[in-house]
Amino acid sequence: MNKTYFKQLEETLYHEQLPNGLNVYILPKKGFSKTFVTFTTNYGAIDREFIPLGKDEPVIVPDGIAHFLEHKMFEKEDGDVFSKFSENGASANAFTSSTRTAYLFSSTDKVLDNTKVLLDFVQQPYFTKETVDKEKGIIGQEITMYDDLPDWRLYFGAIENMYKEHPVKIDIAGTVESIEVITAEHLYECYHTFYHPSNMVLFVVGAVEPEEMMAFIKADQAAKKFEEPKKIKRFYPEEQHAVAVPSKTLQMDVQKPKVIFGIKSNNTHLSGLDMLNYEISMQVAIELVFGRTSAFYQNVYEQGLIDESYSADFSMEQEYGFSMIGSDSANPEKLVEAIQEAIVLNGSDWTYTDADIKRITRKKIGFFLRALNSIEYIANQFTRYSFNDMNLFDVVPTLEKLTMEQVKEAFESIKNVETHTSFTIIPFEKKNDE
Amino acid sequence: MFQQFDLAHGVKLYVRPTEQFKTINISFKWKQSLAVKDASIRSVLANILQYSNEVYPSNSEFRKRLDDLYGAVLYVDTTKKGDKHIFSLNAETVNDAYLSNEKIVDEVFSLLHTVIFKPQLVNGKFVESIVKREKEQVIERIQSMYDDKTRYAQQRLLENIRPNHPASISANGTVAAVQAITNEELVDMHHKLLHENELAIYIVGDVDVQEMKEKMQNHFNFADRVDRVTKDEAVEHMVTANNSLHEIQDMKQGKLHIAYNTPITFYSEEFPIMQITNGILGGFSHSKLFMNVREKESMAYYVSSSFSSLYGLVFVLAGIDANLQEKAVKLIDEQVKAMQAGEVSDLEISQTKSMLKNQLKEALDSARAQIEIYDQYKELNEAFTVEDWVEKWTNVTKDQIQQMALKMEKEFVYFLSGKEGEGNE
Repeated sequence: MNKTYFKQLEETLYHEQLPNGLNVYILPKKGFSKTFVTFTTNYGAIDREFIPLGKDEPVIVPDGIAHFLEHKMFEKEDGDVFSKFSENGASANAFTSSTRTAYLFSSTDKVLDNTKVLLDFVQQPYFTKETVDKEKGIIGQEITMYDDLPDWRLYFGAIENMYKEHPVKIDIAGTVESIEVITAEHLYECYHTFYHPSNMVLFVVGAVEPEEMMAFIKADQAAKKFEEPKKIKRFYPEEQHAVAVPSKTLQMDVQKPKVIFGIKSNNTHLSGLDMLNYEISMQVAIELVFGRTSAFYQNVYEQGLIDESYSADFSMEQEYGFSMIGSDSANPEKLVEAIQEAIVLNGSDWTYTDADIKRITRKKIGFFLRALNSIEYIANQFTRYSFNDMNLFDVVPTLEKLTMEQVKEAFESIKNVETHTSFTIIPFEKKNDE
Repeated sequence: MFQQFDLAHGVKLYVRPTEQFKTINISFKWKQSLAVKDASIRSVLANILQYSNEVYPSNSEFRKRLDDLYGAVLYVDTTKKGDKHIFSLNAETVNDAYLSNEKIVDEVFSLLHTVIFKPQLVNGKFVESIVKREKEQVIERIQSMYDDKTRYAQQRLLENIRPNHPASISANGTVAAVQAITNEELVDMHHKLLHENELAIYIVGDVDVQEMKEKMQNHFNFADRVDRVTKDEAVEHMVTANNSLHEIQDMKQGKLHIAYNTPITFYSEEFPIMQITNGILGGFSHSKLFMNVREKESMAYYVSSSFSSLYGLVFVLAGIDANLQEKAVKLIDEQVKAMQAGEVSDLEISQTKSMLKNQLKEALDSARAQIEIYDQYKELNEAFTVEDWVEKWTNVTKDQIQQMALKMEKEFVYFLSGKEGEGNE
């Protein structure tokens, strides 16, 4: 077992890769009552085209299948997994994103028993026609619920504007139509391809004794049989640099218009330290130009173009990335213009100083230290970083080394107007005035 | 859980030293009775104090100062609890121990002092342009509830069953009341915070208790106050004539919200039994509602119940197909009736006890939750501990649960749906 001590943070991380390929990480936290365990596969909504395990030809599976599979993992021949967790006083959950599917529980008692339940239910699939068909009603209601959430429609609308081909534009849960055709055979095919231990990370954090936990996990995994790990072949379409749609408007039953200005990033074939450096430089650049201390923010706030819902950030994965600046706004067109002007202005006249960079850096270090109080944050973020060959605990050292040049270069990468788009939701009453 | 000190008459300091967190959390809570007009004034005042002050007259200067202090979090907001309105000033700062040679904590205390005691006043009034804009912000916050259909449906249910009652009064007040606020009212309300409202201050982190007490005394000079807020009491309400309402909006899902009246509140002897009763009905993913309405019938993605203990109300919420209201109500009724008939298994009881215990213990892993739980439970017992509370659940019996279920009286069914559900009455 490898042991790494992070002196500044006073944290110790234990790690071991097991013979079946599974990466196990354990981070004990002093003073905590609960233990939080996440079991995550590097598989999400964007993985729709791949060569299934043991086959030679690529297949395209129905949209929403990774999420559907996540739902169906909880039902077994002998009943519902939630019930087992409840008996042990553990609250269990799962989520699917564009790139990951995570199964998790937290409990203050019977942690080894609960870890066993988690490992077993994720590693023993059980799908039948009846159970698959039954789930369609439940997920149908989940999709309908998201359809009524304006902020979700806004977020996905902006992504759809940006991407022409890439499956990041697919809604994670799919559509009522796309899930209709999903079968138990589809689920087994995806399961066997993506749920091999070598494609997964187990992260344990909180009240835990590392040696005991590691031995427990190793014994459990050694007793189970898995095929030899193989490299998974996934296919993503070539994506153009420019956005697919420069602007689009949707009408919904809302009180006030909402808008997101999206900037598509093309610097996305990165991993490891390069990715970490780019991600952090972009986040600092966005914070400098569009954050709450910026001249831009002060200006649009005073003009009444934004409200408390305002946000500006940058996020990326290995295949895609984007900045989003958005708010509920009485005048979304004017807000979009102000954002465009700020990009032009800062592009020609970069007035920030090292002191500004230092201030933002301090803010981000403070955010990171606060986040380390949350064991959920640690587990989820650590896993995300590790799937991208980055280390969560490199964030502070990388921030401390950040230079003005890096930030300026990151900002340069968002100037191209072909990569800009806006997505707006307007109330129904406005229909006739437009 | 917390050590307590009197800083002045009506001003109490509660400190919890723990090595658990890398930050220090501080929370000031000013309490007074909940009423629409004052709630509106206090919400706008919260925004004004958060925007700027005498030392940092521009918001961007103020925020830059917070960034410099390692992104110290500082926010002012308003909430409600039972029939009380709470104006809070919250801060979270990195503990000096994690920074080399820096003294951040003292700076944050001094900033908190500035926010409370040094507002930006011109001739004894707040800056008119800031007042105008922050009134607008609060109005927009109130209106934004309309876009969140679950929150909106719940609010409509409350307005129907408990009009002009603390259960339905929003902590932000109303649009009309915010519009009517004058500058003088805001100044008066600020004066009340400094001199009249009962104040509780919480500190959680890796701190020395005596040092915190001294810092509080050095940085702040709180006036004695006499206006002791009395303990929460159940507020009387009128019985509504109608028992259902179906409203239509342009939306896809149907939002079903059902209210049950109970004579049990947070202050009742039977409160712990009601927590278990609600847990079995719909608090968890092993509960009757989840197992039967979601898993067996595939009718909903979410279906759950919650016990609003300060108002003595149980709510059942479900997102369903707009055409299936009748079927859903029937299924939900069946779950409640089963519990009233004593159809509760030993497994359901033990699962629910384990889950409640886990939920309460887990909450202690967040500094904010420690403050909120203690702020509530200290009303029952200042020596509150999680272990003592867990003990209260241990011996609850099936018979007691049945008795609790029998005290749940279905009061109102509210349904919000798209036009597809129109024929569904």
